[in-house]
Amino acid sequence: MKMKKILALVLAAVMALALVACGGGNNAGNPGATPGNNTQKDDNANAGEPSPDAGGSTAGETISLTLWGAEEDQSLLVDLVEKFKAAYPDQTFDIKVGVESESTAKDTILTDIEAAADVFAFANDQIDDLIAAGALLPITGDMDAVLQNYAGKTIADIQSANSAATVATATRNDTLYAFPMGGGNNYFLYYDSTRVSAEQAQSWDTLLEAAQAAGSKVGMTLNSGWYNASFFLGAGFTTALNADGSTSVDWNGTSASGVTGVQVVQAMQNIAGHPGFLAIADGDISNQIASGNVCAVISGTWDADPAQTAFGEGYAATKLPTFTCNGQQVQQGCFSGSKLMGVNAYAENAGWAVLLAEFLTNEESQVARFNARQLAPANVNAAADPSVEANIAIAASAMQDAYGVVQSVGGKYWDPAKSFGEQIAQGAIASDDASIQTALDELVAGITAPAN
Amino acid sequence: MSGKKIARKVLFNVLIAALAIFWLIPIVWLVCTSFSAYSGMNTSTFFPAQWSAEHYLKLLQSDTVNQFTTWFWNTFKIACVTCLVSTFFVLMVAYAMSVMRFKMRKPLMNFAVILNLFPGMLAMIAVYFTLKTFNLTNSHIGLIMVYSASSGLGYLIAKGFFDTVPRSLCEAARLDGCNEALTFVNVVLPMSKPIIVYTVISSFLTPWMDFVYSKMILNAGISENYTVAVGLYRMLDRSLINTYFTQFCCGGVLVSIPISILYIIMQKFYVEGITSGAVKG
Amino acid sequence: MEDILSAKSGIGGFFSNFGTALARGDWSVKLSLLWWGAGYARRRQFAKALLMTLVEAGVAAFTLLFAMQYVPKFGTLGTVQAEQVFNIATMKTEWNDYDNSFLILLFSLFSFVVWFAAAAVWMRNVVNVYRLQLQAEAGRHVNTFAEDLRSYLDEKFHITLLALPALGVAVFTVIPILLLILVAFTNYDQQHMPPTNLFSWVGINNFVTLFSGGSSVTLGFGYAFVRVLGWTLVWSLFATFTTYIGGILMSLLLNNKMVRWPKLWRTMFMVTIAVPQFVSLLLMRNFFSNGGIANTICANIGLTGFLRDIGAISTAYIPFLSAPGWAHVMIILINIWIGVPYQMLIATGVLMNLPGDQLESARIDGANPYQTFRHITMPYMLFVTGPALVTDFVKNMNNFNVIYLLTQDVYTTTNQVMANAQAREVDLLVTWLFTLTQDYYNYKMASVIGIMVFVVCAVITLVAFNFMIRGDKEEGYQ
Repeated sequence: MKMKKILALVLAAVMALALVACGGGNNAGNPGATPGNNTQKDDNANAGEPSPDAGGSTAGETISLTLWGAEEDQSLLVDLVEKFKAAYPDQTFDIKVGVESESTAKDTILTDIEAAADVFAFANDQIDDLIAAGALLPITGDMDAVLQNYAGKTIADIQSANSAATVATATRNDTLYAFPMGGGNNYFLYYDSTRVSAEQAQSWDTLLEAAQAAGSKVGMTLNSGWYNASFFLGAGFTTALNADGSTSVDWNGTSASGVTGVQVVQAMQNIAGHPGFLAIADGDISNQIASGNVCAVISGTWDADPAQTAFGEGYAATKLPTFTCNGQQVQQGCFSGSKLMGVNAYAENAGWAVLLAEFLTNEESQVARFNARQLAPANVNAAADPSVEANIAIAASAMQDAYGVVQSVGGKYWDPAKSFGEQIAQGAIASDDASIQTALDELVAGITAPAN
Repeated sequence: MSGKKIARKVLFNVLIAALAIFWLIPIVWLVCTSFSAYSGMNTSTFFPAQWSAEHYLKLLQSDTVNQFTTWFWNTFKIACVTCLVSTFFVLMVAYAMSVMRFKMRKPLMNFAVILNLFPGMLAMIAVYFTLKTFNLTNSHIGLIMVYSASSGLGYLIAKGFFDTVPRSLCEAARLDGCNEALTFVNVVLPMSKPIIVYTVISSFLTPWMDFVYSKMILNAGISENYTVAVGLYRMLDRSLINTYFTQFCCGGVLVSIPISILYIIMQKFYVEGITSGAVKG
Repeated sequence: MEDILSAKSGIGGFFSNFGTALARGDWSVKLSLLWWGAGYARRRQFAKALLMTLVEAGVAAFTLLFAMQYVPKFGTLGTVQAEQVFNIATMKTEWNDYDNSFLILLFSLFSFVVWFAAAAVWMRNVVNVYRLQLQAEAGRHVNTFAEDLRSYLDEKFHITLLALPALGVAVFTVIPILLLILVAFTNYDQQHMPPTNLFSWVGINNFVTLFSGGSSVTLGFGYAFVRVLGWTLVWSLFATFTTYIGGILMSLLLNNKMVRWPKLWRTMFMVTIAVPQFVSLLLMRNFFSNGGIANTICANIGLTGFLRDIGAISTAYIPFLSAPGWAHVMIILINIWIGVPYQMLIATGVLMNLPGDQLESARIDGANPYQTFRHITMPYMLFVTGPALVTDFVKNMNNFNVIYLLTQDVYTTTNQVMANAQAREVDLLVTWLFTLTQDYYNYKMASVIGIMVFVVCAVITLVAFNFMIRGDKEEGYQ
């Protein structure tokens, strides 16, 4: 009797909750709709819509969209959203703006794709993971018609309006997956010109000596696959993302320029072992700049303000230095970086989301963003503006972009590369050829492991 | 007192003072840094180069990153409801397991022990999707449910206390015509003030300290909904730490003050509760 | 009165009661197999008949409307891939009726739990109706509905008390755990993430991956598992015992009569626990990070240089939290800082009840403080808090906060094989599990690890309790 009643109560309550869930699945118009009953969602989307008419058929219905942007962009985005609404006065919009850091957008989105915002800003290093998870809506096919009808542009227009480098970072298999929003997301060298001259900043050897003479250090993050690849990329090594999600690298062999991986590692060890070098933990660069421990540092445009504050009058930036490898000077390469605005493939109002994303990344918006937070515009016209070119950090970034390589690595790349960089930073690899070759072989085996 | 005794006494107290100071060094650093004029993390000196209380003021005013007052209020609301629900659950379960006798008692107790052996992190993603099904993610109600729904499993301490309540009192109540429910409310509960206070305070403190669950559930990026834990944790994001580290320290200090007071109050009742439970083994 | 049917308890008794009820029940009992309210209607308990009919209808509705959408797909975990078509007229995307593997798993599990409960209710119902029949035949009073309700405040009060908490536990603890156990047998990871991709059953493949040892770079999981498990056990041992002993010593120190202002000192120690862990531990992490204050001070006083000269470190900083051996020790030390005040609190409470006469007789016999401690205080403490020690050990095995907050972003492993399994030398099984779910979406391996954590904890708990029960010295204290 007793147990029965316990079970009956549990049962009744559970059923009540389940019925609520069934009822809850009918929220077709909600961006955060429950995914439980897809049939109903489908039916509601079809039934009750006005008869098809290319354009104007959605008037009278509130279009709800959610947008995620970086912390620094919040006030700007609110303004731009108002302008967007004014640009399409026939429609009623309900647009919510939320905060999501551009460097961690992928994590939040992949935890729950359907609950993520319809339009979001992200840094291009996350694009491969987002595409693999089906989180990005390809800007192709029908979207061309949508853009033409409402924004008066074609996809080709957008691709030519923005720099080739940023468009390349947003394109996979000849399909555009996101709108270029900002360039200059690569890294270059900041230095204090009162302690390091422009000449000395050209090559690692002179740079390190100058720093040591000035009683300070040169800082770089080694324990991140994003930064330490620069030595290998500069020497002509490559990475490739395969269709099954695994990565191919050739770093333990010989590159196209005839340099061996062992030689590159030895160059890195020479740099890391120099008393004028400071290996900075990933993410700690801003702190180190701000605390005055370095007179030169490798970072990106996001650290322009701290660098300017720290170096004061001597604030200067230029492309990455060259390093000595096999007796020659090899230019340090980098991964091309950009900031992109993508549309969630699971967005309800996909068409309007695309239009919003396009609006937030068109020329005027990019200029506004540059004025607000000095984000280098991806738009070619905007980038040609004198005030943009006068920005030291952006100019250095553009200089380094000439040596940039589009990042195409799979998920298994990051951890082995991170460990490898840490090994070099801590001096954990002996400097003889055999040990280095073993370490490189381990690195490559880890990177090329099958993707789960 | 002999000289030797005085010396020993002094030594003793010095030892304790030294330990206490040593224990408090990081807290001292926290408080000092919160009064620093510099907004980022100072890595060169222990004490701030310049002192200023401006970051407290900045913390209490809201901007796009920092809505400390809102977070404080959110966490307070969540904590109040959580502590109500949790206390009810814990006391109900503890009474049933301790005072009453029914067939499923031992099996249920063993089952509770087994459930406690699973790591809490394991179930997180499933809990998230369960909440999502009922549209309860990004809501404070969802968070309250996460904190309080399983609180019944933490009944052991309260049960230990109820075990010490003399059965004769319950018998007397029965003879007077009370049924079990009335015995619970009129006889046992009034005697259990220490353990009730302990349960209330410890369940009140849970939402203030937890950041893992709140970070997972409040994921829509709407920072007005955050609790104090998530909001402060987000301030340490690498792009924000230079501007907000001192405010983080200020927030830490402001949050610790009410928690310290509650802990000190709870300490008294906890010792009473634990002692009564401990004597019976 | 209740057990007129069978004196056997437990599951066996339950089924035998059911069998007896069916065999010897009258037509209303047998009708109750189909219509749950039949037996009550016969005994004129109409309210209960109505209730049971509603419950039966509810279960049927649940099955048809909800469970049938998901349970048939349980075997395959979904076969229809998500496809979308953009409808340019409505400016919306339309989806086909695709399967979401995770939801199929979750809702099927839900349905199974509900069906299990329904089956138990069904069988118990039959038994109860048979009981009513026996009561009526024996001429005893059959309860009215009002009397039944009142019994819920009396003999059956425990049901009223336990209903809501049990529901909470079922939905928020039991079902998630069962779900994650099931996930351990699928291939749910970043390459197979719903809603875009489907995942399916893979049997015990994941367990094989975890246990296949060897240090081949691609077989990282087995390698990492052994090491992480080892550190987890070592850490739990040290963390539990250092804080335990530290707490006792501290408590004895503060209880000593020679101390002035004991309350002040006690309050000062309390403050360290009052600061939330995510604040104090993050501060400690920044304090001891490679470029942090501790390092700056050590560099200034020449300690760093000294250590470099004697070859203890190879970097320009002391790697408090970033090199394997150092980090392990620092974590244990910092945990002492956090854990001792709390243990001191508990120890104070317990020691207050130490039988004073034992201490007196020891003092009269001329024992010095050390002997008193060793032969009286410690055994008493161990006796009283022995069980708590075991649960503390298990809790420390799952002590996520300390490890995560202290080493996040600061510690990078230099061991490539560990890196391939996303593990670090300082990880506990739970932090490894967390990293796998949060950063790599590798739910399948995380679930397997979670199950292993449970197994290890369960084994330790069983062994420890058995050991303690054998060495019972209760008489000494009564």
